[in-house]
Amino acid sequence: MEATRVRITVNGVEHVRLVPSTMTLLEFLREDLQLTGAKEGCGKGECGACTVLLDGEPVASCLVLAAQCSGRSVTTVEGLAPPEEGRLHHVQQAFIDHGAVQCGFCTPGMVMSAVALLEQNPLPTRDEIRVAISGNLCRCTGYQSIVEAIYDASRRSAKAERAEKAEQLSGEPR
Amino acid sequence: MSTTSAPDKLRWVGKPVPRVDAVGKVTGATKYMGDLTFPGMLWGRVLRAAHPHALIKSIDTSKAEKVPGVVRVLTHKDVKGLNGYGIAVPDQPVLCHDKVRYMGDAVALVIAETREEAAAALDKIEVVYEPLPVVDDPERAMLPDSPLVHEGGNIHLHTHIERGDVEAGFAASAVIVENTYRLPRQMHAFLEPEQGVGVSDGNGGVTVYCGAQHPYRDQMQISRALGIKPSRIRVVASPVGGAFGGKDEITLQILLAMGALATGRPVKIVLSREESVVAGWKRHPMVIHMRTGAAADGRILAHQVRLVSDTGAYASLGGPVTNLALEGCTGVYRMENILMDGYCVYTNNGVAGAFRGFGQLQANYAMEHQMDLLAEALGMDPVAIRRVNALRGGDVNPLGHTMVENVGALSVLDAAERCDLWARRHELEAEPPSEPWKRRAVGLAVEMQGTGLGVGLPDYGAAKIDLVRGPDGRPRWRVGLSCPEIGQGNSTTYAQMAAEGLECDVGDVEVYVGDTSAGPDSGSCTASRSVYTGGNAIFHAATAMRELLRKKAPAVLGCTEEEAAQAELSEIARAAVAKGITLSADGAFIWPESKYKLQGVFGLPHIINTYIAHVALVEVDVLTGQVEVLRSFAAIDCGKVVNPQGVQGQSEGGMVMGMGYALMEDTLIQGGHTLTKNFSTYIIPTSLDAPLMETVTCESFEPTGPWGAKGVGEAVMVPIAPAIALAIRRATGALMDHAPSTSERVFTKGGVRLGG
Repeated sequence: MEATRVRITVNGVEHVRLVPSTMTLLEFLREDLQLTGAKEGCGKGECGACTVLLDGEPVASCLVLAAQCSGRSVTTVEGLAPPEEGRLHHVQQAFIDHGAVQCGFCTPGMVMSAVALLEQNPLPTRDEIRVAISGNLCRCTGYQSIVEAIYDASRRSAKAERAEKAEQLSGEPR
Repeated sequence: MSTTSAPDKLRWVGKPVPRVDAVGKVTGATKYMGDLTFPGMLWGRVLRAAHPHALIKSIDTSKAEKVPGVVRVLTHKDVKGLNGYGIAVPDQPVLCHDKVRYMGDAVALVIAETREEAAAALDKIEVVYEPLPVVDDPERAMLPDSPLVHEGGNIHLHTHIERGDVEAGFAASAVIVENTYRLPRQMHAFLEPEQGVGVSDGNGGVTVYCGAQHPYRDQMQISRALGIKPSRIRVVASPVGGAFGGKDEITLQILLAMGALATGRPVKIVLSREESVVAGWKRHPMVIHMRTGAAADGRILAHQVRLVSDTGAYASLGGPVTNLALEGCTGVYRMENILMDGYCVYTNNGVAGAFRGFGQLQANYAMEHQMDLLAEALGMDPVAIRRVNALRGGDVNPLGHTMVENVGALSVLDAAERCDLWARRHELEAEPPSEPWKRRAVGLAVEMQGTGLGVGLPDYGAAKIDLVRGPDGRPRWRVGLSCPEIGQGNSTTYAQMAAEGLECDVGDVEVYVGDTSAGPDSGSCTASRSVYTGGNAIFHAATAMRELLRKKAPAVLGCTEEEAAQAELSEIARAAVAKGITLSADGAFIWPESKYKLQGVFGLPHIINTYIAHVALVEVDVLTGQVEVLRSFAAIDCGKVVNPQGVQGQSEGGMVMGMGYALMEDTLIQGGHTLTKNFSTYIIPTSLDAPLMETVTCESFEPTGPWGAKGVGEAVMVPIAPAIALAIRRATGALMDHAPSTSERVFTKGGVRLGG
């Protein structure tokens, strides 16, 4: 089988590997790097369980070839809150607080779609959230708790940002 | 979510404790069974049938075995024990020998170094078939001249239930409504396709990692098929990426064990979505004919039912589903005169088995339509007719059981009547729609869901609790029982109940579920039974542990019996682990059964019921027939609520799944071939389809339940479907007797009138 040498940065770490030309990014993450957070639910880009960020954009990693990712940067759910930091990303924490997790199989993809949304639109409306996660299927929750979690996370992070700015301002010399 | 409950002194039960498994799931750290990797792991692929119904004349694997990378190709000859599985009847071959009965039948298992090599070898297996006529219509399958799917006949089960005198009841009726309802083949659509790994211990034993719903029964079925002792088989079935009944039966467990034992190496199998759809179980499509007579005051005087259920190629739980559907055909109502016949029929239309609701969804859809139609005929209010007929505590129900348990039909009906959607329905229906060509209407339906396995089926649960010393030197409580975590949150409710019973902090409890090596058999995660059964087992184990600790207290604390009696349990536990003492206690529970036995009817009646009412506000586009559910409401009596967030999550997820059933979901099979193999053609609700949902719990105390709790997992998806369909009827006049209510059906049902 034809192989391609790739250099892919995943969660800030650069990996140089020889991969089969037919290997998807999802297979590369799950099998070569043992990053099993992204899941395969359909293999056709229909369910969103494999969503990761490619150069900051959400993609269905089952539809992207690993070879296409050379020289690019991938963020998976494992990269949001490195265990050594000891705390969760605010979207992850909001998912827990709002009961937005049941079986959890859709959760990593759902979280990544939410993170991507908030990067581009820090204060989305509930309708904008529904559109942003409409490519992520969930069979357990009925979505309402997920929408609430993302809405809450966006407001929390906006509040935190304001507080940080206020702190900076008050710390500046007069 | 709001609840109505009396204040209590409970510390953990009823409190919003965060899920114990949530951190692992939001960080991606949780390993599902298909995420596991072992050194030297091989890949398995299953060869499925090439025809929906055919005799196998020969199987030649010699060319496949020569494909580079192939380690073994297994066929029926390698099944050393019983070549069959099935929860009720083991009529489904592990690997087919002489006949295939549906496109998902497994014929061979290829094991190779890589997935690609296994796939290449599948094409090289030569199977010679002699195709047989395809049996795809359950009504025709019952005729004496039909080709046979199984030699014993195509009718797997016929159940006849008769009480009172229906003819006299119909004669006395002021109105009679009669209709035929056609219900779809819904797919579970769990996001995690069936997958797992089999690992041999090199000594004739095997561990099977495969997400499922009853690890001990899987162990038994593996043992029976392989001809090895259950004690040599460990099954790890948790966590599961969604199941909903679709992983109750054996999926890959036997093949994983066979592959691992045959090669001596770990073997992984991961089904593609398409393979999962073709091979996996579905909700039984049913045709339900109902004739119901009522007096002028709305009382039901006679009810006649004929139900035909398509179980597909193998029995699985088709029989019990048919029987529970018949029970559901009596709704939440008093009926003295009933005559019901249910037929569970074999065809070559895939396979059908357990699915959340277990026959009650089909039945409730039909029954609740009958109630609204009776109300229309009598000029009654939909709630009023339901209230007149609703079962009360102490009633003898239609199947003959005297209802001494908690009966919540009226309390959920009252809550639904009071909710904003129903109380203001005329106002909401008159509100201007989002577009002039749309119409709004509200529908309501009510259900009771029989929980537990039912009369005649041993239904039990056991749990164990170990007191051990944690890494910080403090006591840790390890709670083990087999009901897996399939997403519903039972591991969290178990931790809450254990903490309540052990008088400890919930953070000091570790729950181990779904692993035959970590806890005793607490049965299946089905039939809304895991909180009730597992919780009762934990209650008894915790009681035994408390007694044990109290007995040992004087010695552990080095004090008198009187002083020890004053000590807190946590203090005794702390002193015990400090001295290096570890303790274990077991608890077990057996379900109560009705004293009333129905002659010749397996599993009925059920006696512990969840009660639920749903209300839905829909908007129908009269130009296209498209239906949107704008808002929905649930009133639930599931006994004592153990975890409010858990109940709300079940309720909302159930409403949306039931909405999918009502509006869009049907696995289409034509001539035995599945047409809707992935989410591009089998459409389930997305975030854009889900309505705004409200849930209210009408708490009650079930005396036989752990801390008063009952189950909730299934009822949450049931009456929402008829509530939506009845709202469509109010909006358009169309009787949606053929679910799902797709745009095409709503459009063509005649309810669409331009400018009407």
